[in-house]
Formats: sequence, structure tokens, C-alpha cells
Amino acid sequence: MTQTDSPIIELRHVDKHYGPLHVLRDISLRVHQGEVVVIVGPSGSGKSTLCRTINRLETIDSGEILIDGVALPEEGKKLAAVRSQVGMVFQSFNLFAHMSILDNMTLAPVDVLKRDKKEARAEAMRLLERVGVADQAHKVPAQLSGGQQQRAAIARALAMRPKAMLFDEPTSALDPEMIEEVLQVISELATDGMTMLIVTHEMGFARNVADRIIFMDEGRIVEESDPEAFFLHPQSERARSFLSAVQRH
Amino acid sequence: MKPTSIREMLYEPPGPAARKRISILTWLAMAALVVLTALVIRQFAVTGQLDARYWSFFARATTWRFLGEGLLTTLEAAVTGAGIAFALGFLMMRGKLRKNRPLRFISAALIEFTRGVPTLLFIYFFFLVVPQTGWKLSAFWKITLPCAISACGVVAEALRSGVNAVPRGQTEAALSLGLTDTRLFYKVVFPQAIRFVIPSLIAELVIVLKDTTFAYIVTCADLMQNAKVLISNYDAMLSVYLVVAVLYILINYLLNRLSDRLAAGSGRTGAGRSAV
Repeated sequence: MTQTDSPIIELRHVDKHYGPLHVLRDISLRVHQGEVVVIVGPSGSGKSTLCRTINRLETIDSGEILIDGVALPEEGKKLAAVRSQVGMVFQSFNLFAHMSILDNMTLAPVDVLKRDKKEARAEAMRLLERVGVADQAHKVPAQLSGGQQQRAAIARALAMRPKAMLFDEPTSALDPEMIEEVLQVISELATDGMTMLIVTHEMGFARNVADRIIFMDEGRIVEESDPEAFFLHPQSERARSFLSAVQRH
Repeated sequence: MKPTSIREMLYEPPGPAARKRISILTWLAMAALVVLTALVIRQFAVTGQLDARYWSFFARATTWRFLGEGLLTTLEAAVTGAGIAFALGFLMMRGKLRKNRPLRFISAALIEFTRGVPTLLFIYFFFLVVPQTGWKLSAFWKITLPCAISACGVVAEALRSGVNAVPRGQTEAALSLGLTDTRLFYKVVFPQAIRFVIPSLIAELVIVLKDTTFAYIVTCADLMQNAKVLISNYDAMLSVYLVVAVLYILINYLLNRLSDRLAAGSGRTGAGRSAV
């Protein structure tokens, strides 16, 4: 069904307003199979909003969003089905607080994908092993450190065998010492060829993991280039001042 | 995390002078309480309320069986009423949280109506108006239904506040995994919401239980009604009321302890307290 050259995620001329605030301005963007695209930019530039429009946690005013060539449905079961194919990792982890880590992992695979419960549990344990929190499987989220919670949240998204993963500032709520362990997991996913769109403030990580960097400011894509070019020779004045501000120390 | 009491949250810990003042005031209050109790008992003795004829029938098993039967009816009415109130309250809460405007309006109106009207009016409605329509209800339902209806609006609002207290991120995570609105409500939101509002729900159960004392109006043989029978049989108002009051206090105390225990238990599972 999938054409070899069609992007997994595609945005065409997307616009969004919050009242008088124009938060996304004519955004067009493609993420191809196996590609890692990292969005950077100052706070309020619209990068988180952009990330959230892709599985319609934010609606858009105009433009088109396509997932694997299919227009994102606006509601109902069809929307739920598309969402189940795109993994999302949040800043605040959002593990289900009343369930064990293992139950967090198996809820959607069993409930949405109708997988066999036993199989789902076995796969969940394999994924928890892979992100290094298998020993926490029977605890509830509040008993885990932030880094462990976020790694479990990544595993929960992977359990759906998604076509692509969205990361909305995955390390912004973490203590400095826990950031590295989460970035490590994401880097491994990149190596394994997972298609990813990542919003982050971690510039070193962005440079290492990205195939392409998108720099946003005031709701616009200001610059789009490969990481070396972006970090060494930013084209726009806005990107230059942003980079000098975040890389000063 | 160590559970913090309300007192610890609101006031700083007392220093040496404050501790001294607190202990003096405590002793004074205790002394005042003892003196007052002594005065009350003395007054009882003077007016003859402590005479054996007012108390001796409590030595008979039949008295306790009679009160026990009443107590059982009270509990049945309260539990049934609370069950119905929960079911109705749940439906009204679901209605009020819907996007559908008419449904939301009807639910909101029902909630305001049932919360605003005193229980006694509902009881008179079922006692005086309903029979005229030819709908024959037993005395039990004539007290249980109005108590349930009177409580359901409060239950609906309690549940709604619980649902609203569940962090938005929980819903977003469930949506992003492909759960539909209904599934995510029952699997993710409601199980957490109910933990938040257990104390309010049990408080409402206590109110339903106390409302059932209106059963004497519809001559349903609950604890209060049977107490009244004892009073007229033995001409012993004070002793019977005292014993019945102790029974009500005991039940409600146990309910409140249950509430504390459930609330503490759900706190341990960390509902809604995950670090952000």
C-alpha cells in the first residue's frame, strides 16, 4: 500500500491560531521512513504545538496532515486507528498513574490492537528489558524515578509497533542526571531505524541523532538543513542568535 | 512520602510557650467537660431519668432484637439508596461531561434540582403524591427512593470533580495510544477519579443514612421508627434516644474510618501524584 517514496509524516501548509496568536504559519514538512527529524527553537516558537497536531492532540485551522499517505481523520474510530500507529512520548511521561508499568504497557495492545494478553505481556517485558526497566514492571509509576518513567513511557509507545514516534520535549521534566539515560534510549531507536520527530532543547543530542534539523521561530520554519550545516553555519540571523544563546556555556 | 495532616499543612509546629498554653487549655477543657457531664447526670438523677424502669428493658433480648431489626432496615435503605444515588449520579455526571448541548443542559438541570430540594419534600412527594397516581410503593421504597434522589445530584458533582481532577496528560496519553473516548474513560480516567472522591462519596453515604431517619413519616420500620415504638411502649424517651444516638454515631464512625482507610490506600498507589 505504501509507496516507497511517500513520507510517513507529511504536513502541507498547516496553519493554526490561538485566538489572535498565529502559532503555526504555513508549515510544510516531510518525515520519510527511517528518518530522524529534530525540531529546535525558542520557547513559544510553536514546535510543541506542531508535534501535537500530528496526532491531533491539537487541531489545525487549515492545511493537511498525512500519516503514511492517509489524511489524518478528524474524529472517531478512524482517528483512533491512525493515532495507534504513531507513538507519542510526552514531557511529563503521562504513564497511567493507577496501573503497574506492565499494565501500562499492555492496555493499548490488548484493548486497541486486540493482541493476545499473554503475548502482549511477553512483548512488554522484552521492551522493558530493552529500555532497562524490566525490574520495575510490577511497580506503579509513582514508585519510579523520572528517567525510569520516561523510559517506560517510550517502551509503552513502542509496544504498539508504531510507524513513527513523536517526542515532545522528552527530557524537559527530568533532573540533569536522568536526561542522559533517556537520550541514550532514543539514540538507540534512531540507530535501529525508527522514524522519529523529536522536539528538544538538548542541542548536543540534536546534533548527534538528527538526519535533519528544523529551526522554528514565531510559528514558522525558519531553517531546515542537515545538523552539521545548521550548527556550524546557520543561515538566518535568528538561528545564529538562538544558537549563541543556548550554546554560550 | 509521610502523610501530612491538615493541621501540619496549615500551622507551623508549636514552640515551647505554645505547647505549654495548649496543655493548660487542654486540661481546662477536659475539666469543663467532666463538670458538664456530671451536671447532666445529676439533672437526670434529680428528674428520675436514671430510674430502673427507664433502663431495665434494655436487659431484654427482645428489645435488642427489635432495635436490631430496625437497624437492619436502616442499613438496607441506606445501602440501597446510596447504590441508586451512585447509579443516577454516574449517569448525570456522564451527561454533564458530554459535548452534546441538550444532554448537558438536562443533566445540569437535574443535578441542580436534586441538590436544591430538601429530602423531606421528596419524601412527601413519594408519600402523598405518588400514591394518588396509583403507583403502589412499599414503605421501604417510599423512604429509600427519595433519599436516593436527594443524594444523586451531590454524587454526580462529586464524581465530576474527581474526573476533572485527573490530569489532562492521562487522557492525552490514552488518546495517543489509540483508545476511543469511551474506552479511555472507563480504563484510565474513571478508575483514578473514583479514588479522588471516595471521601466525598462516603460522606454522602452518611448523609443518606441520616436521611433515612425520616422513615417514621412513611412508617417504615427502620431504627428510628422502632425506637419510637419502644418510647411509647415504655414511656422512656431519653434512654431510648440516647441508645439510638450511640448506634448511629457508631455506624457513621465506622464509615468514616473506612473512608480514611480507602483514601490512604489509594494515596499509596499514587493516583495522580506521579512526579511531573
